[in-house]
Amino acid sequence: MTVEPAAPATPIPAMQRVRGHAHVSFARQGETTRLKELGQSGSAKIRLPKTHGTPPVAVFLNTAGGLTGGDRIEFDATAGPRAHAVLTTQAAERVYRSIDGAAEVASALRAEEHAVLEWLPQETILFDRAALQRSLTVDLAPGARLLAIESLVLGREAMGEDVHALGFRDRWRIRREGRLVFADEARIQGDATDILSGSATAAGSRAFATLVDCREGAPGLLERAREALSPLLGERLRGGVSALPDLLVFRFLADSGQDLRAGLVSFLEAWRGSALPRTWYC
Amino acid sequence: MTAQLRMAPETSTGSGAVSGAGLHALLAWMSPSFPVGAYTYSHGLEWAVEDGAVRDAATLQAWTSGVLRHGAGWSDTLLLVHGMRAAALGDEAAFRELLDLSLALQPSSERRLEATAQGDAFIAAIIGAWPPPGDTAATRLFARLTKGEAALARGGWTYALALAASAAAWGLPAGPVATAFLHAFAANLVSAAVRAVPLGQTDGQRVVNGLGTDVVALAATALQAPLDDVGGCAFAADIASMKHETQYTRLFRS
Repeated sequence: MTVEPAAPATPIPAMQRVRGHAHVSFARQGETTRLKELGQSGSAKIRLPKTHGTPPVAVFLNTAGGLTGGDRIEFDATAGPRAHAVLTTQAAERVYRSIDGAAEVASALRAEEHAVLEWLPQETILFDRAALQRSLTVDLAPGARLLAIESLVLGREAMGEDVHALGFRDRWRIRREGRLVFADEARIQGDATDILSGSATAAGSRAFATLVDCREGAPGLLERAREALSPLLGERLRGGVSALPDLLVFRFLADSGQDLRAGLVSFLEAWRGSALPRTWYC
Repeated sequence: MTAQLRMAPETSTGSGAVSGAGLHALLAWMSPSFPVGAYTYSHGLEWAVEDGAVRDAATLQAWTSGVLRHGAGWSDTLLLVHGMRAAALGDEAAFRELLDLSLALQPSSERRLEATAQGDAFIAAIIGAWPPPGDTAATRLFARLTKGEAALARGGWTYALALAASAAAWGLPAGPVATAFLHAFAANLVSAAVRAVPLGQTDGQRVVNGLGTDVVALAATALQAPLDDVGGCAFAADIASMKHETQYTRLFRS
C-alpha cells in the first residue's frame, strides 16, 4: 500500500508554463495580398509557406508540442481592406492531462472592408483529464467575409482511450460593425464519454466540428451548401447546415477524427473551390 | 421541527417563495394556453422522431434530458436568471447585452424563429393582458423596452429574455420562475412527442415526472452559476433542428 508523501515544507515551484503570442497582418497590393506585419514570441510561431497564385497562408504553430493546464497561447490576425488570407495550423493541437488549471488558446481575427479571412486550423485532440478554454473573437467590417472552422477530437483513438474527465469550453463571438451576429458556447464539463453518449448530445460520436461562413447574402447559398454536404453525410459523418442573417452555420459529428477530417477536407475543397493549405494533407 | 420549516426564503439568490398573486401569474404565463404558440415548436424533436432517435417513452426521456442539461434548457435558464437580475436593477445595457447573446447563440433558423416568435408573442400578451403593476426599476425598464423609440423591434426578443423582463417587472423570485420555465420547456417537448411519435398521455406524463430531477437541479444550479457557464454540447439536437428544415412532412415549425 502506498502512502501519500507529507507536504514539503517549502512550496514546489510552479512548473514551466508555455506562453506564446503570434500576430500577423496582410494588406492588399494591386491584384494580390501581401504580408504586412508579423510578430511572434514564446512558443507561438508563424510560418509563411510559398503559395503560387493563391492567397497567402499563415501557418500557426506551438513549438512546445502540446498544451497542458496553465499554458496560454494567443494568435491574432488582420486582413486589410480587400485582402484575402488563409490561416491554419501546422498540425493537430494536443491538449494533455492537466494537473491544475486549464490551458488557454485565444484567437482574435479582424477583417477590414471587403477582406476575406479563412480560419482553418486543424483539429484539437483532447486527452483524458485535459482542460482547455478556447476562444475565437472576430470583428468584421462591412463587406468582409469570414470562413471559420473549429474541430475537436476526444482521446487517442489508436490507444482506445476514452475521455472520462474533461473541462472544455470553446467560445465564439463574431461581430460585424460592432454588432454581435453569431455566438457559440461549446461546453463539456465532467465525464465526456458519458455526456456525449446521449442521443441529443453526440450519440457516442467522438469528433465534432462547427463551421461558419459569415458573408453578406449567405442565406442565398443555403441550397448549394445542402447539396455540397449531402453526398458526404452518412453513418460515420453526420451534420447539418442552416442560414441565419448573413451567415451559414454547419455542425458535424463523426465516429472518429479520421472520419471528421475526411469529410471536412472534401467539403472545404468543394465549398472553397480550391485545395486546403498543404499542412492539412501531411 | 423539520429542516424545511426552519429554512428561510433566500430572496437574495432568488429562491424565495412566490406570493399567491405571483404564482397565479406564473402559472398562466407558463401554461400551454398562454398565446405564444408553444405547441407549434418541437425544438428539432420532430426530426429526432423521423430519425428514430426518439421512438418511445425511454428514448424521449433521454433526448429531453440531454436538451435540458446540455442544450437550450440549461443555457436559456441561465440567461433568464441573469436577465431577471439585470432587469431588477433596471440595468438596460446589461439586459440588452444578454438579449444580444441570447439571439446570437441560436444555432439554426428554426431555433431562432422558435426563440424570437415566442419572445415577441410573450411580450405582446404581457402588454395586453398582464401589464406589470407598480413603479420599480424593472417596470420602468419593461416600459422602455416595449414602447417608445427605444422599444425592441419585431424579432428583437427571445423567449427567455421576454420572460426575464416580465417576471422581474412583476417582482417574481428567480427560483420559481426558473423551475416553471424548465418545466414548461420539458412539458412542451413531451407534448410534441406525444403527437409526433405518437405516445400515450400517461406515458408522456411519466416522462414529465421523470424529468423533475433535471428541472429542479438545473434551476437550483442556475441561481448560483456565473454567466460564464452558459453553453453546452447538444450538437445532435442542433443538427436535428437543421435537418428539420428539409423534413418532408412536418407538424411543427421547429
